[in-house]
Amino acid sequence: MSETSFPIKDLTRRKFQTTLIVTTLTLCVASTVFLLLLADRVGFGISSTVEGRTTVGFSAVFSSFILIIGILTFVIGGVIVSFIAFVMMSQRVRDIGLMKAIGCPNDLIFAHFTTELLIVTLSSGVLGVVLGIAATFASNSLFNGSGFQLAQQSINLWLVLLVFAFFLILMLAFGIKPILDTTKLEPAKAISPTYHIGLVNELRFKVISKSGFSMKVAVRNLFRHRSATIRIILCLATVFVLVTIAVGGGIIADQTSKSWIEEAIGKNMVLIANQEMCNQYQMLLSKFYKENESMAFNYTQQKYLIPGSLTNASYLGNITGISVDARLITQADVTVLPGIAFDQSTGEPAYVGSLKHCESIIIGVQPGKMLNNWFLEGTSLEANTTTAVIGDSMAQEMFSEPFNQSMIVFNKGFQIVGVCIDPLNNGNVTYVPLPVLQDAINEPNQTNIVLVKIDSSANYEQILNQIRTEVNKFNSNFNSNLDVLELNGVLDKSLSFLDSIWSTVMFLPLFSIVAALLCSADYVMLVTNEQRQEFGVLRAVGANPRGIVKIISGQSLIILLLCYAVGITVGIIVTWQFLIPEPLVTISTVAEIAGWLLIILAVTLAFNLYPAIKFAKKPIPEILT
Amino acid sequence: MKADRTVVLASLLCKTYQISDVKVEALKDVNLNVRESQFTAISGPSGSGKTTLLNIIGSIDKPTSGKIDVFGNDLNAKNEDFLASFRCHNLGFVFQSYNLVSTLTVAENIAFPMEWVETPEDRIKKRIEELLEIVDLSQRRDHFPFQLSGGEQQRVALARALANNPPLLLADEPTGNLDPKTGEKIIQILRKLKDEGKTIIVATHDNQILALADQKFYLEDGKLANLNE
Repeated sequence: MSETSFPIKDLTRRKFQTTLIVTTLTLCVASTVFLLLLADRVGFGISSTVEGRTTVGFSAVFSSFILIIGILTFVIGGVIVSFIAFVMMSQRVRDIGLMKAIGCPNDLIFAHFTTELLIVTLSSGVLGVVLGIAATFASNSLFNGSGFQLAQQSINLWLVLLVFAFFLILMLAFGIKPILDTTKLEPAKAISPTYHIGLVNELRFKVISKSGFSMKVAVRNLFRHRSATIRIILCLATVFVLVTIAVGGGIIADQTSKSWIEEAIGKNMVLIANQEMCNQYQMLLSKFYKENESMAFNYTQQKYLIPGSLTNASYLGNITGISVDARLITQADVTVLPGIAFDQSTGEPAYVGSLKHCESIIIGVQPGKMLNNWFLEGTSLEANTTTAVIGDSMAQEMFSEPFNQSMIVFNKGFQIVGVCIDPLNNGNVTYVPLPVLQDAINEPNQTNIVLVKIDSSANYEQILNQIRTEVNKFNSNFNSNLDVLELNGVLDKSLSFLDSIWSTVMFLPLFSIVAALLCSADYVMLVTNEQRQEFGVLRAVGANPRGIVKIISGQSLIILLLCYAVGITVGIIVTWQFLIPEPLVTISTVAEIAGWLLIILAVTLAFNLYPAIKFAKKPIPEILT
Repeated sequence: MKADRTVVLASLLCKTYQISDVKVEALKDVNLNVRESQFTAISGPSGSGKTTLLNIIGSIDKPTSGKIDVFGNDLNAKNEDFLASFRCHNLGFVFQSYNLVSTLTVAENIAFPMEWVETPEDRIKKRIEELLEIVDLSQRRDHFPFQLSGGEQQRVALARALANNPPLLLADEPTGNLDPKTGEKIIQILRKLKDEGKTIIVATHDNQILALADQKFYLEDGKLANLNE
C-alpha cells in the first residue's frame, strides 16, 4: 500500500470520526479567523468612533480589552485545536501498535500517520480560513446598522495567514506527539488498553452509592479514563477561564468605567452659573461622547462671577437636602516642566519629561468640600498648597512622569499629586485649590460656578424647584443672569455612550463562547463514540436510552462543573488583578456575571445532551457493531 | 421437570438488511417454539442468521415482519422503556465477543445489571461471590477484562448474564472463540444450569453443547429447520 493510499483509506473508512474532527477543526479555525478579523474591524470601528472623544484612560481600557479578547480568541482556538489533534492521533495508538506488531518499520508507520494528520490539518485549515472570511463578509451587514462603518476596511490578510500558520503548527505539533510516543513503545504496550485509554486499576475515589447508578457509572468512567479526562478538563477549564475573563471582565469593565463617569460627574448634580457659562460647562462635559470644537471663551468675565451670598442662608443655604460646592473655572496656558527622577537601580538622577506648553481648563476647588469623586491615581488635593490634580488625557499627552514633574499656571508652580479620570474637556483639565487659583488670577473670594448635589433621600423634583426659586430670587435681587442646569442628562448620555461601546465590544466574546460550546459538544460525541461498545452492552442488559443519556450527561456535568469552578475562579482572579484597575464589583455585578455564566452552563449542557440523546436512540446492534 | 409453559414463540419471522443497493435476507419465515426449562440449540454456518435470531428473541433487534412473543409479551408492540426493563428482569445475554465493559473490573461487570435494578448492596456482594464461584473466577474479581484470557472473559460474560437470575438465557456461540479445553468449563456451567431447569437458547457449532440440547434447530440462509422432526 502506498504512503498516501493508506492514510486516505483510513480516513475515509472512519467516516464519522473524520467528519467530526474535520468539522471541529474547520469550525475552530473559521471562528478564530472570523473573530480576529471582526475584532480587528470592530477595534478599528471603535477607535474611529472614540477618536476625538473619551479620555485617554477610557480609550486605553477599550484598546486593552479588545486586545485581550483577540488574544483570548487565539488561545481558545489553539487549546481546542491542539486537544482535537491530540485526540485524533491518540485514537490511532492501537493501530500503530498493531502495525508495529506485524513488523511494519517505524519510519513507514510515522509516514502513514503523519500524512493522515497533514491531510486533515491542511483541509481543515483551508476550509476554516475560507469559512472564516466568508463569515466576516456576512457580518458586515449586521454591523453597518450599528453605526460602525466596517465595510470600509479590507480583510487583513496577514492576520489570516498568521492564524493559518499558528493552527497548522499547533495541529502538527500536538498530533505528531502521540505518533512519536507510540512508535517508541513496545507493540504489546501500544495495543494494551492500559496505554490506549489510560486505565488505572485502583479507584481511590469511593462513589457514593446514593448518588444513583448512572452517576456512579459516569464517575467511574471518568476516573478510569483518567488520562483522557484530565486532558478534556485542562482543555475546557482553559476555555472557561477565557470565557469568564471575557464575560465577567466585560461586565466588570462596563460597570467600572460607568462608575468612573458617575463619580466624576456626580449623580443628582445641578449646576448654577451664568447661562452662557452653563452652556460652556455642558459643552465641556459632552466632549466625552461627541465631538465639539472649542470656541474662545473668557471664563473670568465679570458677568460670570457669582457673589458669595448665593450660598448663604438667604438663598441656597435655607434649602435642606442639598450640598453646595462653589468653584472657579478658567482656561490658561500651562507650562509643563521636566522633572528629576532617580534611577531605581543605580540611584543616579535623570531628567524626565520635557518643557511643553498647552492650554488647559483650570478649576479651583475646595479640597474636602468637593461633591464629586474621581478614579484617582496619587493623592487628593490639599487646601492652600500649590498642588494639582490633572486629567488622564493631559497626563498622557503632556507628561512623561507626572508625579516627578511640575507645571506652571498663571506664573505659579504646581506640584502634580494626582491623575484623575474626568470626562470634563476629555480629561484635559487641571484641578487646583480654590484660594490658590483665586490668588493667582487676582480674583479673591470669587467663584463662577456652583455645583449643588441633591441628596438621594430627598425629593429631587421638589428640591430642584426650590433651587430654581432661590436662584430666580437671587437673579432679581442682584440683577444677575444665573441659570440652573441639571447634569443628570449629560451623565445619562455619557453612560449610554459607554454602554453602546461596551455592548459592541461584548459582542466579540459571544463568539468565543460559541466556539467553546462546539468544543464541548464535540467532546461528548468523541466520548460516546469511544464508549459505544460499553453503552451498547449496558443497553443490552437492560439500560434504556434515558439511562445512557443520564450517564453521558452525568459525565459531561461533572466535567463542566469542574471546569466551570476552575474557570470562574481563575478568570475572576485574572480580571481582578490585570484587566482593569480597581474594578467595581457590586452585588448586582456578581448577580449579572453569575446569571450569564449560568446561562452559558445551561446552554453548554443542552449542546452536550443533543449528541448523547441521538446516540442513545440508536438500535442496540448498531451500537454494538 | 419440564413445564408446558411457552417461553418463546416466533412465527413467520423475517429480517432483511439493506446494505447499499443489496438486500440481505437474514431470516426467512422463521417459526420457533421454546418451552420453559428447555435447552434449545441453534446451529448453522457463519452468516446464517443465528445472531440475528438471538437478537430478536433478546429484544435488542426488531424483525422486519412476523411475530415474536417472549413470556407472553408481543415484543414488536412494546416501547423501548418496556423492552429495557424486560431484558433486565427476564433475559441474560452472552455475546460471542464477550462485550465486557472494558473500564469495569470483573466484579463490577457482574454487578452492574443488579445495580441497574437497584438491588441492595449487600445482596449484590453476596451474588457476585456466588457467581464468581460458579464460573470459578473468585481470584480474578478485581481484574479488568483485558487482563483476562478469552475463556475467562466468556465466563465473566456468563456470570453477568446470570446476575439477575433471569428465567431465559441466550448465548451466542459461547465457545466459538475458545479452544476445546477452555470451552469445557463453559459447557460444564451450561450443563449445570440446564440441570437447574433454566430455559436456555444457544447458537453454537459445538457438538458438546448440541448434545446437551432438548431440541435442535439448523439455520441456513435464514431458514430454520427443526432437527428433531
